Amino acid sequence: MDGFDMIDSGTDGPSVTIRKAEASHADFVLSNVDLAFANSIRRIILAEVPTLAIDLVEVISNSSVLPDELLSHRLGLIPLDSTNIDDKLLYTRDCDCDGYCERCSVVLTLVAKCTGDQNVTVYARDLAVAAGAQLGNPVITDEAQKGSIICKLRKGQELNLKCIAKKGIAKEHAKWQPCAAVAFEYDPWNKLKHVDYWYETDAKAEWPKSANAGWEEPPLENEPFDYNAVPGKFYMDVETVGSLPPDEILRQGVKYLQEKLANVIAGVQKTAGATGTAASADGDINGMEDGYGGARSPDMGDANGYGRNFNDGYVTPYGGAGGGGAGAQTPFGGYGGGGYSNGW
Amino acid sequence: MPPTKKSVVSRSSAGQAVFDTINREKRFRNPPADKTAFPALQDAIKPHVDSWNAVFREGGCLHQAIQDIGEKTVFDKLDGNEETGYGNKLTIRIANYYLGKSMLSSRDKTAMKREIYPAECRERHVSYRGQLQLELHYKVNNGEWQKEYRDCGLLPLMVMGNRCHLEGMSPKELVEHKEESEELGGYFICSGNEKLIRMLIVNRRNYAMAVVRSSYAKRGPSYTNMGIQIRCVRPDQSSMTNVIHYLTDGNITFRFSWRKREYLVPVMMILKALVDTNDREIFEGIVGLDQREDTFLTDRVELLLRTYKTYGLYSRYETLAYLGDKFRIVMQVSPDVSDVEVGKLFLRKIVLVHLQNDGDKFRQLLFMIKKLYSLVAGTCAADNVDAAQHQEILLGGFLYAQILKEKIEEYLFNIRSQIRSDLMGGVKVEFNSPQYMRKMLGKVNERIGESLHYFLSTGNLSSPSGLDLQQTTGFTVVAEKLNFYRYISHFRMVHRGSFFAQLKTTTVRKLLPESWGFLCPVHTPDGSPCGLLNHLAHKCQVATTTSDCSHIGPLVLTLGVHSAKVLPVPAEATLSVQLDGKILGWCSPRDARRVADCLRFYKVEGTHNVPKDLEVGYVPVSNCGQYPGIYLFSQEARMIRPVKYIPLDKEDFVGPFEQPFLNIAVTDPEIKSGDTHVEFDPTNILSIVANMTPFSDFNQSPRNMYQCQMGKQTMGTPGTAIRHRTDNKMYRLQTGQSPVVRAPLYNTYGLDNFPNGMNAVVAVIAYTGYDMDDAMIINKSAHERGFGYGTVYKTEKYDLAEKSKSKVPQLAFGYGWAPIGADQQTLAKFKAMRDKYSGTIDDTDGLPMVGQKVVEGDPIAVYHNMGTGETFFFKYKSSEDAYIEEVRVLGNDVGDTICQAISVKFRITRSPVIGDKFSSRHGQKGVCSQKWPAVDMPFSESGMQPDVIINPHAFPSRMTIGMFVESMAGKAGALHGFAQDSTPFKFNETHTAVDYFGHQLRAAGYNYYGNEPMYSGITGQEFHADIYLGVVYYQRLRHMVNDKYQVRSTGPVDSRTRQPVKGRKRMGGLRIGEMERDSLLAHGTAFLVQDRLLNCSDYHQTWVCRGCGSFLATTPIVTAERRAEVRCRRCAVRATEFDVGAKGYWEDGLGNRYLGGDNTTVVVIPYVLKYLDVELLAMGIQMKYDVSP
Repeated sequence: MDGFDMIDSGTDGPSVTIRKAEASHADFVLSNVDLAFANSIRRIILAEVPTLAIDLVEVISNSSVLPDELLSHRLGLIPLDSTNIDDKLLYTRDCDCDGYCERCSVVLTLVAKCTGDQNVTVYARDLAVAAGAQLGNPVITDEAQKGSIICKLRKGQELNLKCIAKKGIAKEHAKWQPCAAVAFEYDPWNKLKHVDYWYETDAKAEWPKSANAGWEEPPLENEPFDYNAVPGKFYMDVETVGSLPPDEILRQGVKYLQEKLANVIAGVQKTAGATGTAASADGDINGMEDGYGGARSPDMGDANGYGRNFNDGYVTPYGGAGGGGAGAQTPFGGYGGGGYSNGW
Repeated sequence: MPPTKKSVVSRSSAGQAVFDTINREKRFRNPPADKTAFPALQDAIKPHVDSWNAVFREGGCLHQAIQDIGEKTVFDKLDGNEETGYGNKLTIRIANYYLGKSMLSSRDKTAMKREIYPAECRERHVSYRGQLQLELHYKVNNGEWQKEYRDCGLLPLMVMGNRCHLEGMSPKELVEHKEESEELGGYFICSGNEKLIRMLIVNRRNYAMAVVRSSYAKRGPSYTNMGIQIRCVRPDQSSMTNVIHYLTDGNITFRFSWRKREYLVPVMMILKALVDTNDREIFEGIVGLDQREDTFLTDRVELLLRTYKTYGLYSRYETLAYLGDKFRIVMQVSPDVSDVEVGKLFLRKIVLVHLQNDGDKFRQLLFMIKKLYSLVAGTCAADNVDAAQHQEILLGGFLYAQILKEKIEEYLFNIRSQIRSDLMGGVKVEFNSPQYMRKMLGKVNERIGESLHYFLSTGNLSSPSGLDLQQTTGFTVVAEKLNFYRYISHFRMVHRGSFFAQLKTTTVRKLLPESWGFLCPVHTPDGSPCGLLNHLAHKCQVATTTSDCSHIGPLVLTLGVHSAKVLPVPAEATLSVQLDGKILGWCSPRDARRVADCLRFYKVEGTHNVPKDLEVGYVPVSNCGQYPGIYLFSQEARMIRPVKYIPLDKEDFVGPFEQPFLNIAVTDPEIKSGDTHVEFDPTNILSIVANMTPFSDFNQSPRNMYQCQMGKQTMGTPGTAIRHRTDNKMYRLQTGQSPVVRAPLYNTYGLDNFPNGMNAVVAVIAYTGYDMDDAMIINKSAHERGFGYGTVYKTEKYDLAEKSKSKVPQLAFGYGWAPIGADQQTLAKFKAMRDKYSGTIDDTDGLPMVGQKVVEGDPIAVYHNMGTGETFFFKYKSSEDAYIEEVRVLGNDVGDTICQAISVKFRITRSPVIGDKFSSRHGQKGVCSQKWPAVDMPFSESGMQPDVIINPHAFPSRMTIGMFVESMAGKAGALHGFAQDSTPFKFNETHTAVDYFGHQLRAAGYNYYGNEPMYSGITGQEFHADIYLGVVYYQRLRHMVNDKYQVRSTGPVDSRTRQPVKGRKRMGGLRIGEMERDSLLAHGTAFLVQDRLLNCSDYHQTWVCRGCGSFLATTPIVTAERRAEVRCRRCAVRATEFDVGAKGYWEDGLGNRYLGGDNTTVVVIPYVLKYLDVELLAMGIQMKYDVSP
């Protein structure tokens, strides 16, 4: 029995019990799925759900104490509103434009200058999204509605930046990460004996009871160990950075998981259809040719090239093989002339 | 009633393990306008600044030195003698000196603000100096003293010393003058570099030390290895070492060195010259009443007295005259002084110079003889010269004063030689003519300031006397501002002397118990300077003034000490009481303890005018131990440290001489009966840096040593005034944090102003295989969020004056112009050049543009020849990309020439890469081996992913338990939101650290021992073992792979051998040496050997003659049909015209005709073989090669 069977055929399919849902995090129990699926969801929402983040900064002027690259780095890490990004923005690499355009990017400008004697603090709220952009507002959650601090300016210092925010995923850079952390737990009573809780004197006193322990039955006294049991109930808590609401992260996560699986299925079907039964054997050979086939000497590139390559081994830039053949010209050609001038 | 608001936290967080972020921030924004918030830091560098101040204050060492130099005389007759007279006598002396603050030269007529502040010197790469002026007095014969003020160059000034503009400034004012708010000073600025004179360990002054040294036996025949050595220090802090040697026959000689030459004088001669005395007095002075039956002693003293009879010198007068006659030339005394006067001068300048009174010298010398005989008889032990007990510290200021004194004296000698050379050169010498005097003085080298500058910038001592030191180099070091730990360590550093570094024995490096509390047992480097380069314990101070001890002499007499001046000394009074090497009196062993105890009580109590830092060294009578007595020390250069005196519950200062004989408990509960003192804190024995290692008492001791080294190599925060500094290379961690786990001293020393690392979530787990062998894995996301992000600043000076040959500026910054009448093409070329470089260079002034990125080969600045208009560039040479951070335009001192130099500061971004080095604070260093994707990292149930993964195998053999404790403490601190106190020695068997922090973790809902169940990031499955997860402060070390990597496929070769060159800088290769080759051979990898040693090295194909076996006789033939052939000229025979066209006929390039010699072929050889052939040929040796098949 594998996960797909359970998901597809079982009468009680995957279920989600939402325990807590807030703007910035959602705590839920995912049950009737297997471990691989639950972890896939976790991995996808951590690394592959696209968001918007500042990727390019055109510095028109920066006289602050922070150097350009550090300032750009700070800007990149500011979470930007990315709701429904898939409907609104393309990846730049999929877009026809050179560089960037409004179909694949959002332009934010930051203009700040300190003129008074008091130092000016530049906050995320000072980032101005280009008119007409459907997303890309900096996420501001603090009471004062300022957002994160970007930089401080002294009298006379100024910032004039054009920030180009692009769509991307956290696999590429952490700034595109939609979640801060994803809590993930199964089997709070350790019935599966996946973990061996080490203790010095008394496991009960040293180990805290899991917060999720109340959601499962404690093991009975002398309960026999069920070696067939697999984890089926996962306690997850998705904490966002604010760019996407938790439900959208999850929905997107499922969507991208489906997409990835679809790609795999399509790939397998294509291969199977094209080469029929011999597909797998051919695939291996092709793999060899791709250079993944295992260790080979670089000299043995191909059969007929063996001899040539072998000779090439002697070629050095200083008096190579060719030089010997044309010996009359090269090593001795210039007694008293150029040939020996760099020698003795 | 409304609830009262909680009062604001105390002004300073010193002594508390708290974050204190808000106060730090407030202080940073508004530096205190009254006084520093971190007085402990000021105390740390005090020995340097105070010693400088002691020299240059009114009546300080330099004034005393000038007095000690005295008068020099010269006559205007070269060959004068007693009968004919010597001619007119000119007496010269230095009456006073004036040292100004750093000011603008008087040649500058326009500037309003004339002070030069240290920051300006740093930024301009010049030295921080003040004008030195000497008040020269001279008189002719017995006339009036004439005054002359001479400028003696610019003398380097100590920052924060009493000639510095910054002295006494508040942090606020310091910041206004572009300094750190906690600028400490204590160093000199030499050509923009901060140099300091490092503290040196020397022998304890004014204490007669019993020494057994094999080299003593080499002084001459019948010399033994035993002697008594005393390092006498004059009030001006210059010193003179006297030694008395024991000879096998029982005799004693007195040895000293004068101008680097050694002299030996019978000790009796010195004794007789010092005072009017007789043999009986000397005998009784050496042999106590109780020792009359001791034939060992009496025999020797008798011999001493008897052998001296051969000299036939009986009275003091005779002896002085004899000495004066012998040493007249050596001492360079003027000819009109009588021999007796020279003898007196000899005694004053050479014998026991710490004492002024001849009677005192006499008594001290007798004491030394007594001690020497006791050493020979075996009734006392030799003193250990390597123990802190017999050591003191030569401070920078005092060394500076000694050099200055010598230079001033040299100046007087120079005047004398100038007059003599004038006389010899036939110049009319008229002492009474001011014109002559001025002209003569003008010819004398007066650049005293320059020679001191030379000393500071090179650390080399050029001195005729050697200053009683054992080394001539390595006195100064650059105070590198790599990070603050390193910086502050320079000022606490004590070196044993480079002389000892060469010694093969390791005894000098030993950590001896005598240094407890004075020198840090942890903070010494490993490797060659181990044990020689120590650091002062953080509470250890160095005395820089002499305490007033005028009351001590009468006081001890009232305590029952028998005065030394009253003879005879009672039989039971066998122990001497000495104050700074002056014998005050004698007392019985029974009374001695009482005297010492009384003195200590008085000094702590502050009564009877006993100064608090008086060292009361009571050496009790023992069985063949240290020579007993009471030795009081009150002078400079002693290490002292505070401990609590139990009887009065007050602070007492103890020194290393007295400490071995005191009972000092370490902690209050340890006090047992007989203990007089208790430590204020057990951590007082550690240096500042060693104190920063959290829970160091849990670690294996070498690990703490490693951490002291690594803490100083960390890429941290060098300072807050980086904008005003132009260090050659500066490292900066951009994302530094305040450690969660810290000792309270961290706050006391204000180290939060200079963060040195980051709090990292660390999992101890073998996860990927990339963490083997001290590698560590960094979370890629953590890296992307800025973990360990650093910057390197490099400053380069571009000087046009160096490029042009003449003194008048020829070159100027900016683009040159096309020659007048240039054609369109040239003009276009000029325009193209400007356009091409407009990216990095400002068009108008030719200087680089701030913020611009430069890569290798980019022009930094453009300059032109003002005459020809030719344009040149300064290019960026480093292979690493950089950004231009700052550009400084440097003028000359007066500001009267056009700009000839600029200083450019480059910023190189150094984001962590694989291969960069990191370490925790427990000597656990590791290299980043992977930046692991966050999703693949293991995670805890709450979703925490570690920033750093280290391998558990890093622990069992190294036993850095402190790191585990720090991990727990850091985790608990982060969970509860407070800083943790990591002071060592706070926990014990009953109150363990694990329980303390375990409870905190448990309270936060975590496992008691810091473990957590974790899940594989890849499969999501829970690990079988729970993982030790916590927060550890990580440092990024400055060793970065970008500075070290060395690769090459092909590249430059040596022109002579055609083998690859060596050296990273030159794109050279790594050598496969003999041993590497051996291992390749052993593996049977012949092909690899050939590849490495031939193909990739100096592979060469050459013609060789099969017939005669010669490389060098082959020569290409010249034929009409251009066939490439080579023949051997040796095997060929000369051909005639008739042979033209015959078989085997050929011509060489010169048209010579030959026949035959066609048995040649091409072989592959290493090129050096051919080189060898040629070299041998030059010696007339021919090499012959058999070529087969």
